[in-house]
Amino acid sequence: MLRLLTLVRPKVLSLKNTLTRRVLLKRAPFIAAGIGFWMLLYLGTAKVLGFVREIPFLGEMLSAKLLSMTFFGLTGFLILSNVITALSSFYLSKDLPFLLTKPVEVRDILRLKALETCLNSSWMVISFVPPLFLAYGISYHAPAVYYLAVSLTFLLLVLLAAAIGICVAHILTRFFPARRIRIVILGAGMLLFLIFYFMTKSVIPQTAAAPEDLFRSLISFRTDAPFLPGYWITETLLPLLRGKAPDVFYLLLLLSNAAFFSLLSFSAGRSFFRGNIERLQPSGPGPGRGISGRAYPDRATAVLYKDVMVFFRDTGQWSQLSITGLLVLVYIYNFKTIPMDAMAGLTPLIKELMLLVNMLLAGLVLSAVAARFLYTAVSLEGEAFWIIRTAPVNISRFLWSKFLYGCAALTALIVLVVFFTNRAIGVTGPLMGISVGTTGLLCISVCGLGTGLGAIYPKFRYENIAAVSMSLGGMVFMLLAFLVVIVTLSLEAWAFFLWHAGPETEGKVLIGICTLLIAAINAAALLLPMKIGAKRLAEYSP
Amino acid sequence: MIILDNITRSFDGVRAVGNLSLNIARGEVFGLVGPNGAGKTTTIRIMTGLLRPDEGDVTIGDFSITREPVKAKSILGYVPDRAFLYEKLTAREFLKFIAALYGMERSVTPGKIEALAGTFGIGDIMDELIEGFSQGMRQRLLFAAALMHDPKVLLIDEPFMGLDPFGVRMLKDFIRDLSAGGVTVFLVTHSLHIAEELCHRVGFINKGALTAVMTSEEIGKSEGGLEGLFLSLGD
Repeated sequence: MLRLLTLVRPKVLSLKNTLTRRVLLKRAPFIAAGIGFWMLLYLGTAKVLGFVREIPFLGEMLSAKLLSMTFFGLTGFLILSNVITALSSFYLSKDLPFLLTKPVEVRDILRLKALETCLNSSWMVISFVPPLFLAYGISYHAPAVYYLAVSLTFLLLVLLAAAIGICVAHILTRFFPARRIRIVILGAGMLLFLIFYFMTKSVIPQTAAAPEDLFRSLISFRTDAPFLPGYWITETLLPLLRGKAPDVFYLLLLLSNAAFFSLLSFSAGRSFFRGNIERLQPSGPGPGRGISGRAYPDRATAVLYKDVMVFFRDTGQWSQLSITGLLVLVYIYNFKTIPMDAMAGLTPLIKELMLLVNMLLAGLVLSAVAARFLYTAVSLEGEAFWIIRTAPVNISRFLWSKFLYGCAALTALIVLVVFFTNRAIGVTGPLMGISVGTTGLLCISVCGLGTGLGAIYPKFRYENIAAVSMSLGGMVFMLLAFLVVIVTLSLEAWAFFLWHAGPETEGKVLIGICTLLIAAINAAALLLPMKIGAKRLAEYSP
Repeated sequence: MIILDNITRSFDGVRAVGNLSLNIARGEVFGLVGPNGAGKTTTIRIMTGLLRPDEGDVTIGDFSITREPVKAKSILGYVPDRAFLYEKLTAREFLKFIAALYGMERSVTPGKIEALAGTFGIGDIMDELIEGFSQGMRQRLLFAAALMHDPKVLLIDEPFMGLDPFGVRMLKDFIRDLSAGGVTVFLVTHSLHIAEELCHRVGFINKGALTAVMTSEEIGKSEGGLEGLFLSLGD
């Protein structure tokens, strides 16, 4: 234990040394954005819960189902995230050669890496779920013991997921090299998502005649099998929410499983870690000259040439690109199978509403994909960024080239998605034009925001580029991008509502103001971060 | 060819380099030596444009590195002490990329790449990924990259790091040839015997200040050579 504390100490000290007053002040906007997101999540959950609980007969069941589905999803996400993080932490991290050449027992390295894995893979979930549980507690007027129970059960779930994830990582590395496994796991995650998705689709009838049919189908979706940790947590928390005594059996079940899997993961580590480390080999032979051998870039295409080469050789990149592609296909399929008849009873403007939902969802997909590929575009240079900084390259032009190539590809993808999904729900004519035009505008502004913020907060030292998009800066970008999308679409929806109500003079003025505001917000989202980003990069010292 | 005009740079209130001035002629090989933390790397990073001086300026050829960085960098070659490269590129692709960044003619690039690969002994591994290169091979590739555009000024931070004796010998000859061809070489090193052997003048830096500049003749006449001077000036 003492040795573990010694090993953890440098990491704690590094964190402490980073958290100076100046850094905290610099991060104040991030903290404010995080608090804003918390509030939005709380308000959103409270609103949904309020609506759901008022549905006659089904309300309480739906509310319990939503809680159960949340834990079901969180368990899957945490286990998958732990497997990927454990692979990096135990087998790919840069401090391994240092640790392995010091007089440190393997068991202490295993403990240190287990702690790292658990914290690194869970911090984001731990940071973002409290408003959700708070909304449940307040909605049900739960006693203080509920908050204690929710903290304890969630902590046990985090430990259990980490232990399972670490176990799987050790066993997989026994059979495959670690770098390949990470891709295998990403593929497995994608498969799990698709299974989950099609299971969901299969329980929602495409020919439902009324909204109640959708709710009934949702309730029948089995996320609460007795052998799942999510079920144990739901069974512990629900009685507390309803003012009854909790079922301690399920809490003990969770505790014993967390303890058992922790021991199992440690045992798997003792058996496999040393052998796995010794079997890890450096990369194989080079790719040969191929097509790239004949291509000679010029000054304008130099960065593109280099980025394309690096992108397609980095298996972590293309595996995520394929995941994105599959998600987009699922997205389009989703719109083709929307039960429009069942939803027509909700509002007469169902087509317009679905168009708005489509653009909103496309905006969210755009933000997520931009976070992964545009926000990381500058950081992708890594520690080789000195090459750009010492070359006769205008940094502003370098940044715009990063923006242009990424934006062109992403705009083409998202605009096509919106076009085909609009067609799937029967949108044509001027509405189609406005929708595609707005999506194109959002693509440009969100890509500019991503590239610019990525340049303002570059992270050139990383072990996995995907982690850069999950950093604090990446999260802030996602929140700001959501904000741009939501504000733009809200203004456009309002303008549409005014136009639909009748072409009064006052309405025309307001529509004009909305259009100007949309233009101003999107221009600011594009230009300001790009300008500040170029300035920051020009001053950056690698 | 290189003018350092009273440059000063501090980090969080601590002065790394203070009022440093130097004038280095065309074709001269100038060495900067000093103990760890003396300000050598900060000086060379200011000269490359990686850092901006708080005060003063650096002129490369006719261009100020702070006011006309793109023009100054276009006649500058730089070899850093740590070889961070694009690991997923092959050496050939990396050199093509460098050629494009410096706006070289496409017709010239293939011949230049082959010539430099031959000079630095990396012809056999030009189509292998950089991630598989040893430290010495990376250093050779860095030199090839720095010389792709025929720079007028070459800045080198610890030039012989990771090189085998053949590499050291080859590089020393190459630096002499560059100098003879009119290229100004500024090198920062801890290898005192090599600096003594190669440099026309050597500057001593300590605690961010230039304490002495001596010619190779003056160094040769002093007792203990450059090492003796280094130890005595360090006190």
